[in-house]
Amino acid sequence: MTYYLRVWAASARYSITRAMMFRGDLLVWSLVELFWMGVNLLTIDVIYRHTDSVAGWSKHEMMLLVGTSMLIQRFLMGFFWSSLFEMGRNVRTGNFDFTLAQPGNVLFMASTRKLDLDGLMNSAIAAGVVIYSVRQLGLHPGPADVALYAFFVLCGIVIHYSVLVLSISMVFWLSSAQGVEGGYFSMTEFSRLPRQAFRGVVARTLFVYALPVVVVSNTPASSLLHGFNPTLTLWLAGSAAVWFTVAVWTFHRGLRRYASASS
Amino acid sequence: MLRALDKYRHAFLIGLQGNLIYRWNFAVRGFFSLFHLTVVFILWGAAFGGTERLGGFTLNQTLTYFVTLLLLQFFISAFNEDYQISEDIRNGLINQFLLKPINYFGYRFSIFVAARLVSGSLVLVPLLVALPFLWGHLAFPAEPWRLAVGLPAMALSAMVQFSIAYCFGLLTFWFLDIQGFVILSMAVESVLGGQMFPLDLLPSWAYATAQYLPFYYQMYFPAAIFTGRLSDPAQIAQGFVIQLIWVAILLAVNKALWVRGLRRHTAVGG
Repeated sequence: MTYYLRVWAASARYSITRAMMFRGDLLVWSLVELFWMGVNLLTIDVIYRHTDSVAGWSKHEMMLLVGTSMLIQRFLMGFFWSSLFEMGRNVRTGNFDFTLAQPGNVLFMASTRKLDLDGLMNSAIAAGVVIYSVRQLGLHPGPADVALYAFFVLCGIVIHYSVLVLSISMVFWLSSAQGVEGGYFSMTEFSRLPRQAFRGVVARTLFVYALPVVVVSNTPASSLLHGFNPTLTLWLAGSAAVWFTVAVWTFHRGLRRYASASS
Repeated sequence: MLRALDKYRHAFLIGLQGNLIYRWNFAVRGFFSLFHLTVVFILWGAAFGGTERLGGFTLNQTLTYFVTLLLLQFFISAFNEDYQISEDIRNGLINQFLLKPINYFGYRFSIFVAARLVSGSLVLVPLLVALPFLWGHLAFPAEPWRLAVGLPAMALSAMVQFSIAYCFGLLTFWFLDIQGFVILSMAVESVLGGQMFPLDLLPSWAYATAQYLPFYYQMYFPAAIFTGRLSDPAQIAQGFVIQLIWVAILLAVNKALWVRGLRRHTAVGG
């Protein structure tokens, strides 16, 4: 465990040093993340110019939900996105040999090679959106509520990570990773929707119960709005465990198909 | 003249073959787009929960707009053309085009047309699969003139899309990595191109301003013609004029960037 922490710390140090060398890039990529968050908030603003409620959620409740979703996604972008995106490319080119040759768990090594400062910096902005929404709603969460919210966000990161690993692992079966990482973004789009918006048995069963994409942001946001709910807590923690297991299993199944640079 | 065009026909055919290799990727991307469409249906379905019309349009008219947008995205959007051009410049592959009697813009545009033909055809598969679910929500206006007017607008939109991507690709002459600029621009395009919400839902001053920007003509303009969000002939005619002006401006910028970029370009080795 200590060994992996040291490996991660070394990768983080390298990434930070590199980011400081290319400060212009860091600025541009920070703006990219900021703009995309702005796009989501603007969409909410435009919709609520024409209606007062979406599935029973007011404008600031919706901002809390979207802010939570963005917070989870920014953490994922900061810690894992670049490494996993690169993994997709490396599998195709054969450069994945380098990762396989490293002394450690392959998925860990492939997931933690890079740290994106821009994603992590923007997680502060996403947190700002959450705090702003909480204030606008007149909520006063105590330390226990904040700790529970943080735990839910952590579960959300695990779920998002698992969905991303599953998407990128498709590259072992396809000839190119081009487009497949879009699977992650498609799935996480659901996390910006309130659970009550899913009407009909099929939509509810598939997106609310079978896939973890709705529960991932709705549970933390609901915990701030309505307090602790044991069923939702178990549901989210269980989903995180199950999806992480499925992602690791799929990655290792795919790894068996990897034919190295000589293919 | 025909002989001169023949090389671009070959480039088109090579593009067709090259893109067919990645047919499964396009198909997967098309399938994932259905997820996006599902999000759109759920979000807008909930937004219309207490009201019959938003911005003067019904739920089905709004959903039809988003389905049209999806189709247009696969037929005319620039996917990774900017990245391909950037790679050509960074890796020196562009050198071969400087030595041969072929126009790089023409070559790239031929490949772009081939790529969109493949991706556009492939997105029809998931859309046809989803058609039984979509059918009840599709509310296209039954006016044939919209097709006659919308198709040229769509062709010009493809030009706008490609020209913007080409500009970003050529920025590689000045910058090592252009991906940040591209994704930054995508965020702007997604809002001002009408991908997040129909632009007519914006406050009137913002909508009026958007009509003078190139992003409006990337997708919203043909989509609005096809789906009945634009009906006033004078407004459509004005749209065509502005779209043509933007095509001309972007082509001029393409040319200027190419000429100035080549002055900075250094080719080493053979």
